[in-house]
Amino acid sequence: MRAGPTTPPSSQTAAGPAGRPADAERVAALAAALARLTPGARTFMEVCGTHTMAISRYGLRDLLPAGMRLVSGPGCPVCVTAVGDIDRVVALARLPEVTIVTFGDLVRVPSSHSSLAAERAAGADVRVVYAPTDALELAAAEPARQFVLAGIGFETTAPTVAGALLMARERGLRNFSVLSLHKTMPRALRALLDAGESRIDGFILPGHVSVVTGSDCYRFLPAEYGIGGVVAGFTAADVLEALLLLARQETPAVEIGYRRAVTAAGNRVAQELLARVFAPCDAVWRGLGPIPGSGLRLADEFADYAAEERFAIDPGEPVEPAGCRCGEVLRGLIDPPQCALFGRRCTPETPVGACMVSSEGSCAAHFRYRAIDAPGNADA
Amino acid sequence: MPDAERILLGHGSGGRLYRDLVHDVFLAHFANSVLARLDDAAALAASGRIAFTTDAHVVQPLAFAGGDIGRLAVAGTVNDLATAAARPLGMAAAFVIEEGFEIARLHEVCASMAATAAEAPVEIVTGDTKVVQRGAADGLFITTTGVGEIVAGHEVSAAAAAAGDVLLLSGTLGDHALAVLAARGDFNLTLDVRSDCAPLWSLVEAALAAGGEAVHFMRDPTRGGLATVLAELAEEAKLGIEVDEAALPVTPAVRSACELLGYDPLSLANEGKMVFAVAPDAAGAVLEALRGRPEGARAAVIGTLVGEHRGRVALRTSYGTRRVVDMPVGELLPRIC
Amino acid sequence: MCLAIPMRITATDGPAATIEADGLVQTTSLMLVPDARVGDYVLVHAGFAIAVLESDDAAERLALFDEIAGMAEGGESGSDPDPDAGGSYDPSI
Repeated sequence: MRAGPTTPPSSQTAAGPAGRPADAERVAALAAALARLTPGARTFMEVCGTHTMAISRYGLRDLLPAGMRLVSGPGCPVCVTAVGDIDRVVALARLPEVTIVTFGDLVRVPSSHSSLAAERAAGADVRVVYAPTDALELAAAEPARQFVLAGIGFETTAPTVAGALLMARERGLRNFSVLSLHKTMPRALRALLDAGESRIDGFILPGHVSVVTGSDCYRFLPAEYGIGGVVAGFTAADVLEALLLLARQETPAVEIGYRRAVTAAGNRVAQELLARVFAPCDAVWRGLGPIPGSGLRLADEFADYAAEERFAIDPGEPVEPAGCRCGEVLRGLIDPPQCALFGRRCTPETPVGACMVSSEGSCAAHFRYRAIDAPGNADA
Repeated sequence: MPDAERILLGHGSGGRLYRDLVHDVFLAHFANSVLARLDDAAALAASGRIAFTTDAHVVQPLAFAGGDIGRLAVAGTVNDLATAAARPLGMAAAFVIEEGFEIARLHEVCASMAATAAEAPVEIVTGDTKVVQRGAADGLFITTTGVGEIVAGHEVSAAAAAAGDVLLLSGTLGDHALAVLAARGDFNLTLDVRSDCAPLWSLVEAALAAGGEAVHFMRDPTRGGLATVLAELAEEAKLGIEVDEAALPVTPAVRSACELLGYDPLSLANEGKMVFAVAPDAAGAVLEALRGRPEGARAAVIGTLVGEHRGRVALRTSYGTRRVVDMPVGELLPRIC
Repeated sequence: MCLAIPMRITATDGPAATIEADGLVQTTSLMLVPDARVGDYVLVHAGFAIAVLESDDAAERLALFDEIAGMAEGGESGSDPDPDAGGSYDPSI
């Protein structure tokens, strides 16, 4: 029997009215506790774009003890989408009968030669939605056009697209389809560790992906790789608490810091929906290359809603931007400022790679929330 | 709807239909002796230096909680003049109207303009109307131009700002941008937010009365938000800026909407707020004066100008850490990730 | 990974719910959390509630925090952390 909440749960920022937020004292105390713990040189990786943003936005690196390094991994779904896949979205946008429906995250990402924003300026019909179900309303309102949803995101978002597909089927909407570019986390973590390129002492595990997957799916990390992980929420206190839990682990383990939302088993209903509407497939990750079984395609039962079945397109050969080190950033091998282009040729205004274009990409987060004396502060 | 109730191409072509429209709509709402002469140019009297500004207004939808394109147009121009410490003397309004636009809606827009002008106070003394074919104008575009009389004896600009100046913000951030977003209905969202759109000459007049020459700089954070104004000030003044995040006034509704949609309150447009840079010894008096007016009830000290990291804006977070604030890039897009 | 905020269910209509937070009102689908009820706080992402939130577990967090702070200060309180205990959800509660 679960107890209902009597007070509202903490929001992302746990900010009170103007003034110090409710958790400022807790953050200060956690930072002090971290400092006293002195675990020695440690490198922890987060694999969630929203964690990347939170860490930069709150300046949490300033609060960490010397020797504790936080790196970003392949946690930004837009950043890890291969250029070739963006080319497919652009090719669909160019079809005159097609309206591309997309989350805002994807609009400015460069394809080999273009972007959805550029295509829109050239006359393509591109519409931004916040929820996949909004695409259904758009489709219902204009039966003469074909509405294609560009499905990006990990296990947090894929169930919402699955839900929209079920609704589309129930409503008999024939002018709606999905180009599934969804990916799943656990295999990417394996691929990262199997590459054995850099030492990772522990993972800050994604908060909302884990709401769906549950934390049990990460047990292979301590069991097979001897690396621990803590599922973290998104407030500054949540992240610091997770670091503290990680730092004090004497035996690697999977723990849940974000207990108000995440369980070991996860959201079974969402998992069943994923299993019904999607099927695992191989996927190419920018920076990591092809990872078998790490993508989601529409299940055979829903093949009639698959955009790649409905439309013939020729996206051409993908072209990677020259000099771009996004791949190394995504694997946590370098910090964004170590890329020669960072803050100089590559800025949010003039991005070269996806990590800078996506507003939650590691490079964008580092740049937008950079320290006052970091590169990028030279006059443009 | 019968033809008589919609704008026709003929309304823009200068003949009888046009004259009728001017009398029935524009003169009816903007009643004043200068406009009533219907001369091609309005004659105004001014002494000393004048300020001169223009703005095109292209908001969609045309109406939203707390305002409409008419209120936006008048307030926007009054506020631009106000940043130059200029009392508004007169405004021109040029309308580009799409064929088929309902005249009843034009009445509503003009009534709103008249009410906002009365608040400012300013008169709309001259104008123009053109009609374009259906599909070419998103309903209605309004361009307003304003002339004002500069009342401050001293220079009010970024060049006058000095290290040590206190930064004041007249009220809450993000209300206008989110009111428009909610009115668009794109995101299936109801927000307890009203646009802050308002003419601010009276507020600025009060600030100047309290601070005099100590008021060094004023600018309104419209498109691009507070982040843009601060970035511009730092660059133009060749000074650094320190902002205290905890001091920024943001309503809970705006804060929640920003968290849900992935927006930064510092990047959101405001249409009834002013940023001031004031010499430290007068900052308290100016703040009092701002808070004494309804548009400035939530005025706050938000930061200072400094001699370090010139050209850069640093935000001190609520946790005591610091990071840079840039101008927002490109269009404002909601995120899910 | 994704933006989601806690919102309170104020009304339901089949699988749809009206949710509210600080004057923000939205409709959302409860398809992924069929057991959610009016008065529950849910985590909302991209138009769907993805979890019903437990109470803020403030008291629990404080206890954990005190334990950690105590350990960090040099005194050891409690035994070595059990990898399977501590953070894991116990469905029997």
